[in-house]
Amino acid sequence: MKTFKAVISGVGGQGTLLASRLLAEASINAGLHVKIGETYGMAQRGGPVMGHIQIGGAAHNPQIRKGEADVLVGFEPAEAVRRGVTYLKDGGLALVNTRVTAPVEVVSGMLPYPDTGELMGLLGKVTDRIVAFDATSLAEEAGDPIATNVVMLGALTESKELPFSEETMLSTLRDSIRPQFLELNMRAFDLGRNAYRAHQVWR
Amino acid sequence: MGNEAIARGAVEGGIALASGYPGTPSSEIGNTFARVAKQLGIHFEWSANEKVALEVAFGASMVGQRAICSMKHVGVNVALDILNAITLRGVKGGLVLVSTDDPSQHSSRTEQDNRWLGRHNDVPILEPSSPQEAKDLTRYALELSEQVKLPVMIRTVTRLSHMRSDVELGEIQRLDRSPAFDWEGFSYRIAGFDKLFRRHRERHGKIDSVQEMFEDSGFNELKLDGEERIGVIGVGFAITYVRDALEYLGVEDRVAWLKLVTTHPMPERLVARLIESVDTVLIAEEVDPFIELHVKALAKDVNPDVKILGRMNGFIPREGELSHEVIDARIAELTGVELAPEARGDLEEAKGDLLFDRMLTMCAGCPHRSTIYALKKAVQAVKGDLMNVVVNGDIGCYGLAHAPPMEFEDTYFCMGASIGVSQGMQRFGVDAIAWIGDGTFFHAGIPALQNAVHNKAPIKVVVADNQAVAMTGFQTNPQLGRTATGDQVDPIMIEDIARASGVKHVEVVDPYDLDAAEEAFKRMLGFDGVAMVIARRECAMVAVRNMRPERPPVYYVDQEACVGCKQCLNTYGCPALMWSEDERRASIDTTLCMGCTSCAQVCPVDAIHRGGDA
Repeated sequence: MKTFKAVISGVGGQGTLLASRLLAEASINAGLHVKIGETYGMAQRGGPVMGHIQIGGAAHNPQIRKGEADVLVGFEPAEAVRRGVTYLKDGGLALVNTRVTAPVEVVSGMLPYPDTGELMGLLGKVTDRIVAFDATSLAEEAGDPIATNVVMLGALTESKELPFSEETMLSTLRDSIRPQFLELNMRAFDLGRNAYRAHQVWR
Repeated sequence: MGNEAIARGAVEGGIALASGYPGTPSSEIGNTFARVAKQLGIHFEWSANEKVALEVAFGASMVGQRAICSMKHVGVNVALDILNAITLRGVKGGLVLVSTDDPSQHSSRTEQDNRWLGRHNDVPILEPSSPQEAKDLTRYALELSEQVKLPVMIRTVTRLSHMRSDVELGEIQRLDRSPAFDWEGFSYRIAGFDKLFRRHRERHGKIDSVQEMFEDSGFNELKLDGEERIGVIGVGFAITYVRDALEYLGVEDRVAWLKLVTTHPMPERLVARLIESVDTVLIAEEVDPFIELHVKALAKDVNPDVKILGRMNGFIPREGELSHEVIDARIAELTGVELAPEARGDLEEAKGDLLFDRMLTMCAGCPHRSTIYALKKAVQAVKGDLMNVVVNGDIGCYGLAHAPPMEFEDTYFCMGASIGVSQGMQRFGVDAIAWIGDGTFFHAGIPALQNAVHNKAPIKVVVADNQAVAMTGFQTNPQLGRTATGDQVDPIMIEDIARASGVKHVEVVDPYDLDAAEEAFKRMLGFDGVAMVIARRECAMVAVRNMRPERPPVYYVDQEACVGCKQCLNTYGCPALMWSEDERRASIDTTLCMGCTSCAQVCPVDAIHRGGDA
């Protein structure tokens, strides 16, 4: 089979690593080989985080070459652009959480946060398939902003880009998430799916 | 994950004990043991530091048990003293040392290559190229160690330690060996001093026997049909870039390659088969030219005309980890394949202009930020100028005190160094504050503190005590009152150690009370002698986690009362604070705020309040 390649990007503390892990487990549950490379450093402290995910195929190294990712899952607009411009293939799908996580340079007034329109405009030069929505608000609506990662997974699943079924993703979530948080996460997943279905393609 | 695979391999190899000290990118090895140790009937501990960890593992080995000890690369610097002793004395139960190196220093102060440290001590070194191999090699390493009576090093790089993939599991082995001290092997009383001392020659005999075994190791793989003019040696994880590049460039038929996993002692006959057969050899390894140097020496005997390319002549950059870009380009150059030009140069440039770097910062509500804020105010008040002290920081989250807007930290070097270097400055009248965390204090701060008291160096010590080893993911330290596997134990309190060490002025303060903390720091600065303030408050991430499923209390900025002075942002700078250029007012991001109240104390016009039920 053709290798499915996705890049996840975000900021430390957003749950991107857990999202990668859930995709890895779902792939294994679907009987597919998977390779994931994470770049995070000391990212719990607000630094950029990136995961490279390759499902199926026979690559030896988990890193994706520039311009070869089928999908970009951006947990934050600036981080989506940082990685999308480099790794997303021409015309690939970009899922973008529009909620801004301001870096300390912005918080302490050294720099302004870039204009979201300009950011998406840049990503728009790589692809016209940008699905952008406030995933953090949806996670709050589900009960906790920490579930932003599961909102994004819901949207990714609904995009039908993944090389395994929706049922595989759902059963993986059910097996991996602690029972007391399952209901909240299932709500988050559904809200993500709905957000994709509403398909607010950035113009 | 590569690190989890190592832990699994150790369990399959029948270990009875695992020890370690957390540090990126090694921490998940110990985290995994912490989760499963009780269930499997093995002992796991986070030790006080890497040297102690390796000593504990060696002790287990001397009573016949298999053991593994994991740490990040710089941890091996700390453990080197005992490592040297172990290699000369030998082991009984298999003993594996895992060194997770960090090429490109993603989360370290150096990208040092620990293969030199292994070689320096005649330690056999194995470098896995995949999580599967990491698991299998760890099991093999335990057996090899026991067979040749040397400790064996598993050396990983960040990209492997943090790589996830599917792994085929093997059987878990439980050896249930009855513990028995090997008197003949280790006891001066029984074996006699002369037999145990001066064993350099014995060590050489052992490492030579390992070299013989590595000549036929099934973990190495040579692809050579004899027609190729170019050969590539990919060492450990580096082979993954090489094999992907050969396929990507479509030159698999024209290039011979050797996957070299048993890197020390290098199997010379195996390597010779490749270099005898080709005109050019490229060596891909991370990060120093460790194999390359050896290949150059070997080539003198077996093929002096072969061209050897790698890190030494800069064909591959001398620093930093490898990448597809580097290896694709180098192999393309050697094979004459045209690579597509960089397509998005302009876009990347536009991105660079638009985006910020995203510096690291302390989390929202981090007590260290409050501590530094109060310390700065106290220094300003007592010393008249913030530049009248040198702030020597240490290793941990609080090391981010150098970042804006706090910008109140001058140096940090290695675990515990803050207290030591401060004394050399103070000796010459340069006032110095040592700024050290609770975990780091236990690791290497205690001898340094006692040195200050004993040698009368009146330094000031601020302990950023967040009740957690937070930076590496919340491992335990001796003050927490519980072990890595969850047993309740008596906590060892830093204030008790300080007082017992003769520090005459010790105070414990809650940094979320900014005025009280500032006053405590003023008293510390005014004290004649070694003085310590412990700023104690649980890590904000732990606090939020413990509140779940409840959310923290919500704070808000009264938009009527806010005068837009930005003092909260410019002097405190919590990531939960936001600024609206249109409104010229501050506000609080309720998804990040954890209710610490510090910004409400910082606000000069009392505009920040706790929300009601709204």
